[in-house]
Amino acid sequence: MADENGSNLRQFREGILDNNPVLVQLLGMCPVLAVTNSLENALVMGAAATFVVVMSNLITSLLRHLIKPHVRILIFTLTIATFVTIADMALKAYMFEVSKKLGAFVPLIIVNCMIICRAEVVAIKNGVGRSLADAFGIGIGFTVALAILGVIRELMGSGTLTLPWGAQSWVLFQLSEGFEPHKWIVMVLPPGAFLTLGVVVGITNQIRARRKQGGAA
Amino acid sequence: MKKFVSESWLVLTMGVVFACLLAATQTSLSGRIVENQQRALNQAILEVVPGLERTEELVIGGNRVFKCADAAGELLGWAVEASGAGFVDKITLVAGLSADGERITGVKVIDNLETPGLGNKIEGPWAAQWRDRDATRSFSVTKATPTVDQNEISAITGATYSSVYVANIVNDVITRIRPLLAEYR
Amino acid sequence: MSIGALIGIFLGVALVNNLVLAGFLGICPFLGVSRKVDMAFGMGCAVTFVITVSGVVTWLIVHGLLAPIGSAIFGPEHAGALFFLKYVAFIMVIASMVQLVEMYLRKFFPPLYTAFGVFLPLITTNCAILGTCLYIDMKPETQYLLNAAVYAFGGGIGFTLAITIMAGIREHIRFSDVPKAFQGAGITLLVAGILALAFSGFAGIGK
Repeated sequence: MADENGSNLRQFREGILDNNPVLVQLLGMCPVLAVTNSLENALVMGAAATFVVVMSNLITSLLRHLIKPHVRILIFTLTIATFVTIADMALKAYMFEVSKKLGAFVPLIIVNCMIICRAEVVAIKNGVGRSLADAFGIGIGFTVALAILGVIRELMGSGTLTLPWGAQSWVLFQLSEGFEPHKWIVMVLPPGAFLTLGVVVGITNQIRARRKQGGAA
Repeated sequence: MKKFVSESWLVLTMGVVFACLLAATQTSLSGRIVENQQRALNQAILEVVPGLERTEELVIGGNRVFKCADAAGELLGWAVEASGAGFVDKITLVAGLSADGERITGVKVIDNLETPGLGNKIEGPWAAQWRDRDATRSFSVTKATPTVDQNEISAITGATYSSVYVANIVNDVITRIRPLLAEYR
Repeated sequence: MSIGALIGIFLGVALVNNLVLAGFLGICPFLGVSRKVDMAFGMGCAVTFVITVSGVVTWLIVHGLLAPIGSAIFGPEHAGALFFLKYVAFIMVIASMVQLVEMYLRKFFPPLYTAFGVFLPLITTNCAILGTCLYIDMKPETQYLLNAAVYAFGGGIGFTLAITIMAGIREHIRFSDVPKAFQGAGITLLVAGILALAFSGFAGIGK
């Protein structure tokens, strides 16, 4: 039992660090670029995706002995689409402004490769405990990656940091008026998204390479 | 047939269960969602036609038009919901017209996806210059200092397109909807 | 619904609001399949086909199935009553279309089928396709079937354009000295950023 808990914890941690869906596995790229123009958007998207992957892993794991191989992708897709619809409705009801800014990217969680990947690789073969640990790890890892990019892009592009808070966004932090002419609008536009992600991925790879060297030496 | 059922009973059952789950969520949340969509509109109407107590919703020329009256029932003005193409995507706004239709009492953008920090500003103080303007002529947008008798609107620095698209929508309201208002007075 | 308007829609989604470089859709295959020009172009064609057919079919499902049934059961003002089934319906359609393409290729173009390998079923998770279906549903200018079809086709062409250009560039980059940490995804993203800058010059064309 202790061993299983240990590996659950490791599964959880891996989702955030070694196996980070965005920075290491390079999955789920589309929302990463689209919704990281502000921290608020990034966090809400992360939360929504975490909800979906947790529910998807939970249901897949509970039903894993009943799911026949031929229909498994169909079942995964059906489950994911259902919970994304629920998340979308919940956002429109309780966080209307943010849901408008996220636009089509909430339903696009359905085709976020990382979610269906977890179901295929982990949930269909493991018990509920492991599947949930994996789901939360991946979800939080996704949110963390989004948040890093969100902070960078929003600070440099708009000079603010906003957090989601009920119906209105809460401006956590706003650089002074003097920053206005110096802000790099491009950071909140498509080119800035690509460039920021490229740099962050490059830095992540560098860090991982160093750690490997450190480990080998 | 038996093979079909044995392979797919789970999918079909899950399909039905999920459909019910979705229907239930929809029923419980749809009230709030519609309310949310209305809130922005209602606040905008209050802003562009100040002092109103009652509204009557009409559809004129394909647009939602709100006939606004004060407490005594006197016609105060009109609030026209209009939308059109923007730089990034659709822009929706509410344009307020005076009771006689001769003046624009204000414009409030309620939905836009323009560039944050630039085109986004059409929702902010920039819109104040639409207050109390001449509604009998079309508007044009200028980067220089606007002159009132040319019916000019000053563009947002760095977001000329977004400013122009707002003016386009207002002009459409003026040319298409304004003449039709007379018969609903 | 003039030819001009249709051309505007086509150019709008292929160039100005290119699905990949401005709309952030289809990034995964964009990064993954853009190593060689012929693979990239082939993927682009497959995606264009699936997008166009899916776009049309999902439009038909919304306007021809969900809306009328909703009206029939709940009355004309509640035509949207069954719209909560949209996302599920959309993804099912896309998955089926990809399955059809797979079967067709396997039967009639086996070498192409093997060349694609695992990337073919992955077209289902290409957000460009679901994204296009969603946008067709959301945008006011695609409420007519012809506009929707043109939009979908234009989206596919834009995707093909972006991915092929990227493949061309990457084939050249292979001979450059990219720092180790940036090889692969890093440099591709940076190049994509520059491409996105270039494409943003198209802004304002349609209008």
